[in-house]
Amino acid sequence: MTDRVTQEKWDAASRTFDLFTFADDRRLGPHKRRLFQKIRGATLMVAAGTGNDFKFFPPNLQLIAIDISPRMLERAARKAAAYQGSIDLREMDVCNLDFPAATFDTVATVCTFCSVPRPVVGLRELHRVLKPGGQILMFEHVRSAIGPFGILLDLMTPLSSRLGPDLNRDTVGHVQKAGFRLRRIENVYLDIVKMIEAVKDAAA
Amino acid sequence: MLFTIGDYLAGSILGIVTALVVRAITWPGMDMVIAMLVGMAAGMVLHLVVGLVLSPCLGMFETMMPASLIGMYGGMFFGMRDSMAAGSATHAAAAGVGAIFGVVVVLGVKVYDAILRGTVLDVGE
Repeated sequence: MTDRVTQEKWDAASRTFDLFTFADDRRLGPHKRRLFQKIRGATLMVAAGTGNDFKFFPPNLQLIAIDISPRMLERAARKAAAYQGSIDLREMDVCNLDFPAATFDTVATVCTFCSVPRPVVGLRELHRVLKPGGQILMFEHVRSAIGPFGILLDLMTPLSSRLGPDLNRDTVGHVQKAGFRLRRIENVYLDIVKMIEAVKDAAA
Repeated sequence: MLFTIGDYLAGSILGIVTALVVRAITWPGMDMVIAMLVGMAAGMVLHLVVGLVLSPCLGMFETMMPASLIGMYGGMFFGMRDSMAAGSATHAAAAGVGAIFGVVVVLGVKVYDAILRGTVLDVGE
């Protein structure tokens, strides 16, 4: 069942989403492009948003992109059409994926698990739909492990979570709890914005 | 390059605004601890407002992290100074110190970012 509260929050956020991510796209885009060069095989993008990140994908992919918000997907449709490849947009909750087990070779996320209310449940769903040996490529912001920054992010989260994401998630820990094996972590800004690569072991 | 200039400009603007607002709400002879707490609270509120306005231009985290330090620590320091009347007698002088403080914090965060940035785990395939 779709989480209506989350859906409505992101439907509302869709109106100003492109404005607030304008500079982030330009500053962080090259890192996303580098991460997504590693995409291979059947690919699922989670939380497509307004489609701002489609331009960072290598051309000629055939991928499925999901989002919980129909308003976000309406805005993403134009950008999906402009992508040099194929993007199939679907409304779906990451915690309740409508795909059989072992469907995808790669899952890609951008600033997704700061917003999913039950992140480990969502990550377990992604683990389920990945083929054994499949990879998850994540561009996420997390709670800083540095004292003052971590406390500041904790203090700001009650406000930020009303309008958008939580700022103090332990996404690396959640990835491990969901059953993935970490392959690579790179700090992009301080220790807050990270590229996280993990794999579903072939034996899983 | 433009983003970098913008980061320093944003830091100096927030430093100036914090210094002037703290100057307006604290006074010489005010209990220093209270002045520091009031300054910190004012700085935190200001950082949220300035951060919200500037993050579309400079990026959410690049704006927010230095701004939060400038607001919180700047507010405390300026409150302490103003309660003791310990320097920066004019508003212009207080604004100047605020601008310098903002720029120094932005520089510090950039140095720290350069130290932290990069691969922290790589176990290969």
